[in-house]
Amino acid sequence: MIHYAALPLELVFEGVETYRPDLVETRVGGVTMLIERTGPAEGRIVRLISPNPQDFLNPQFAPGTMVRFAPQWG
Amino acid sequence: MRPDERHNMGHEGPAAPRGVAGTGERYEADQPEPPQPQQPPMAPAPPVVGTLQALGQTNVPQLESNIYCLTIIGQIEGHLQLPPHNKTTKYEHILPQLVAAEQNPHIEGILILLNTVGGDVEAGLAIAECIASLTKPTVSLVLGGGHSIGVPIAVAADHSFIAETATMTIHPIRLTGLVIGVPQTFEYIDKMQERVVRFVARHSKCSEEQFKELMFKTGELTRDIGTNVIGPDAVKYGLIDAVGGLGEAIAELNRRIEAHREKRKRDVTVQ
Repeated sequence: MIHYAALPLELVFEGVETYRPDLVETRVGGVTMLIERTGPAEGRIVRLISPNPQDFLNPQFAPGTMVRFAPQWG
Repeated sequence: MRPDERHNMGHEGPAAPRGVAGTGERYEADQPEPPQPQQPPMAPAPPVVGTLQALGQTNVPQLESNIYCLTIIGQIEGHLQLPPHNKTTKYEHILPQLVAAEQNPHIEGILILLNTVGGDVEAGLAIAECIASLTKPTVSLVLGGGHSIGVPIAVAADHSFIAETATMTIHPIRLTGLVIGVPQTFEYIDKMQERVVRFVARHSKCSEEQFKELMFKTGELTRDIGTNVIGPDAVKYGLIDAVGGLGEAIAELNRRIEAHREKRKRDVTVQ
């Protein structure tokens, strides 16, 4: 990977070794998405997995949006 | 109205829906409450609530926009998810958005707002190539900064603007991760750099030689090789088409949308 940025690399990658988000793949509103879990049934959208490009224009599915999903344990 | 009754209004317990009792209708708990038929008030409303005409909510005017505004901010995140203190633009979300914008008949033009420090080369070039190959009119506006890999994205649009105070840092590519100290490493970086240089030269009025000269200049940046070009300088070197702000960018996009419509109309009549 080549990082081409004006910011110092040590600033960009600070904490990269300890950053381990709790990611869950689930379906919300009929769209499969990868969610960073913040509670048993809620989380922040990280990435959409959808073959329909129009889903990506939906502001409700923008990365960073908080969503509720069916609780998953284990 | 007693407080416990008021509490019930927002929820649909077994007693809900009120007002249609006896009709046998039931509503699912997740459904929004249907409008209630007018009923005589059960108790006089408290004076304060009774005098309220409206609650303090602003009305955002809804406009069906024919422009798709793509904002590229912070770091352009590539194959590696960056730690959460970074503000990132996720290329895997931007690429299908561009597909959708190209496909969606309601979108007639794309405005790209840039304020980025750079990021992953592959992700940045992917976005830049997508923007460059759109058939719909595209206009980009660099605000604040469009550094490093932000440069090819800025020049990828049909017409590019830079705010008078905005800057673009042009510097050589650095490799992260394992660096093997053999001449091939240098050749590899040089090849990767060449992709950026060629793209910029192909999509702007800045020649390859000129861009490389800016890239390898010494004495401009404090701890690095390269150049920081500010607003009018970017136009002088031919990187960006014009100095301007949001007004100019939207006016130019509207002009291009109009021209694009005319052209399509002509194409249809010719056929």
